[in-house]
Amino acid sequence: MASKNKFLFAIIGVVAVVVFWIYWVSVSSSADNPTLVRYLSIEELKDQNQTSRVKLGGIVKDGSIVISDSDLLDVTFLLEQGGETLPVRYYGTRPDLFKDGVEVILEGRYEDGIFIADQLQTKCASRYEGDLREENNSQSGEL
Amino acid sequence: MPVVGSVALSLGLGFSILTILILAFYLRTNDYRLYLTGQRSALGVSVLAIIATLVLINELLRSNFNVDYVAHYTSLETPWLYKFSALWAGQAGSLLFWLCILAVYTIIVIFLYRNRHRQLMPWILIVLTSVQLFFYILINFITNPFEPTSANFVVANGNGLNPLLQNVTMALHPPTLYLGFVGFSIPFAFAIAALITKETNPLWIRSIRRWSLVTWLFLSIGIILGGWWAYQELGWGGYWAWDPVENASFMPWLTATAFIHSIMIQEKKNMLRVWNMVLIILTFALSVFGTFLTRSGVLSSVHSFAESPLGPMFIDFVILILVVSTALIIWRLPVLKSRKRLESFTSRESGFLFNNVVFIVICFAVFWGTIFPIISEAVRGTKITVGPPFFNQVNVPIGLLLLFLTGVGPLLAWRRTSKQGFIKNFTIPIVAALIGLIIFFYLGFTGYVLVSMTLIVFVLVAILLEFYRGINARRRRFGENPAQALWRMIRKNRSRYGGYIVHLGIVFMFVGFVGAAFNQEKEFSLKPGESEHVGEYNFQLKNLREEERLNHYAWIADLRVSDTHGKFITNLHPEKRVYFFRNPDPDRRQPHSELDIYEGIIRDIYSVFTGIEVEKNTAYFKIMINPLVWWVWLGGYVLVFGALVSLWPSRRTI
Repeated sequence: MASKNKFLFAIIGVVAVVVFWIYWVSVSSSADNPTLVRYLSIEELKDQNQTSRVKLGGIVKDGSIVISDSDLLDVTFLLEQGGETLPVRYYGTRPDLFKDGVEVILEGRYEDGIFIADQLQTKCASRYEGDLREENNSQSGEL
Repeated sequence: MPVVGSVALSLGLGFSILTILILAFYLRTNDYRLYLTGQRSALGVSVLAIIATLVLINELLRSNFNVDYVAHYTSLETPWLYKFSALWAGQAGSLLFWLCILAVYTIIVIFLYRNRHRQLMPWILIVLTSVQLFFYILINFITNPFEPTSANFVVANGNGLNPLLQNVTMALHPPTLYLGFVGFSIPFAFAIAALITKETNPLWIRSIRRWSLVTWLFLSIGIILGGWWAYQELGWGGYWAWDPVENASFMPWLTATAFIHSIMIQEKKNMLRVWNMVLIILTFALSVFGTFLTRSGVLSSVHSFAESPLGPMFIDFVILILVVSTALIIWRLPVLKSRKRLESFTSRESGFLFNNVVFIVICFAVFWGTIFPIISEAVRGTKITVGPPFFNQVNVPIGLLLLFLTGVGPLLAWRRTSKQGFIKNFTIPIVAALIGLIIFFYLGFTGYVLVSMTLIVFVLVAILLEFYRGINARRRRFGENPAQALWRMIRKNRSRYGGYIVHLGIVFMFVGFVGAAFNQEKEFSLKPGESEHVGEYNFQLKNLREEERLNHYAWIADLRVSDTHGKFITNLHPEKRVYFFRNPDPDRRQPHSELDIYEGIIRDIYSVFTGIEVEKNTAYFKIMINPLVWWVWLGGYVLVFGALVSLWPSRRTI
């Protein structure tokens, strides 16, 4: 029996260490190391005046996309969600499906009334199911 | 014609219920003729599923847009290969495809094992038919692929398949993954049958070991192809993003990998029988759960999950599997318990055991990270997303522990490693690892990279030493030359050396993973003639061309890549394409970036044509320098080769 207990303790020890490790990584989330990111609505973002890194989802307002004359990668647009709008600025390569009226998911920071996004993903253009970057089997049931 | 498919599906539903009843009745009466009827009926159920699938394929190839599914996922211009692959592009089709693969597997099981496992067969068929029944219910009542297009308008042309999916890898990736997912139904059915019949003869373990290996191989290939496709098509420069769909295939892979290790202990020592049951059941449950994650829409939001009954049904099915299996295991615990005990920490058995614990722990971490957003949204109303940093941070140290065990395991002796054995087996790998550590440290590597590289040396030397010792022993005993000795040694012990080759593949993959720590990325714009530096490389835009092709319009960039001394390396031709460019509605046109990669042993040069301003004659690029990615694919090939070596039938096993 002694030998069996020895193994049981070893396994329990390993599992305990790892569970603690997962917990530690979760709570140590910070701006440089965003392991967990909150997903907010525009209203919540404005109310809380959040400055930490968050995710936002919404629709690109029709006709609001302005691409900088000097740099094609620099874009501003208005994000609509839950009856609120929010100006967004994004610098970088945009997904092929990015255009007016498309649903996007942004990640970044809220600074002085503007959302500075460093990640932009498109979701669910009407023609296709799901977002391919997120779901690389092309599925997701909703249309 | 679609009506034939619908009828086949309805009949399949009816016959699967009938099959279960007949077989249950046989178990009461023990009238063998009843069993034969049940077996024939199970065959019928499977054939009906295959017929329905063939009908849908036929509709897809014929572009019969009266079927909603066909109109939704194909168009007239879609090349035939992708019309075919649209079978698994959407929810209804992919569930039918799942069923079809299970049907093919069921037929194989019947023909392979009807005599060898006579005791188990009735229960195996009941389990397999029940799983088929579940999918028949989904396809018949919830998401029918033969649903006609809404009657009030005529569809002249279908939507077409997303250009991202018009790629040969993408046509292959889902079916291989599904072959893997579905394949675990068979070990699961055997396990349930063995539990119910109290089968203690280890013969069935041998049968499902091969199944599990084949299935594991499919799943591995599916996952690697998925990564390869993401790397070649998506343009973000990586192959693994820890997104829920990837995790969905990774979780059963982890438990399956644990299983194909620990089943060896059961085969050789008749130990860990309860644990193996748990692993089989967990793997199958995770396969179904993975199908659920990818197909129910739960990932986009909990609300879309609630809208369709599909998600809840899947969850109920997974819970049913877990509850029934757990009850069975507890019920049969007295039969399953092994009288043998593990003897020492320094034994091969305990090496396997800890490898198992680590696999399960990784699986748990991935599972937790995958479902945490869903749970937090359902419970607290706020959605918290778990990003790649979480998965990387959690899994890198655990993964390195696993890598370490990959090296240690094969060096340990069965039962107990003696002190001399320890010194004999471990001295060379440890010395090599220490030398590696010192060299890498002086080269300036630190942190995880340093640890990884040291462990890679350790495991690599440990594996090569195994081969060297085996070859040397044969040379001395039989006087063979090294090549002969290697060949015969592997032939004599395929599963062992096949396993080592798989380990070698894993080590190569880790080399590739380490490379990711040194990725470089830059985005910039160029006019023809201009150039830009990224790292040690220079990119000159020689020319911008445009071309009209069969189903898209393309701008092609000719990039000349040279090193800092101006020495020519390669030409890259990334493209910016517009699909459906003839469509009068600009919203329906579909831009797509076709990237170009210069692959190399040391690093890949990865170019994406991100945008074009036609009036200004300016092109925008994203360039990445990705070191050592090549080794991930090499590792993949080696892994597949090793698994095939293990699986290659020898005269003894047939």
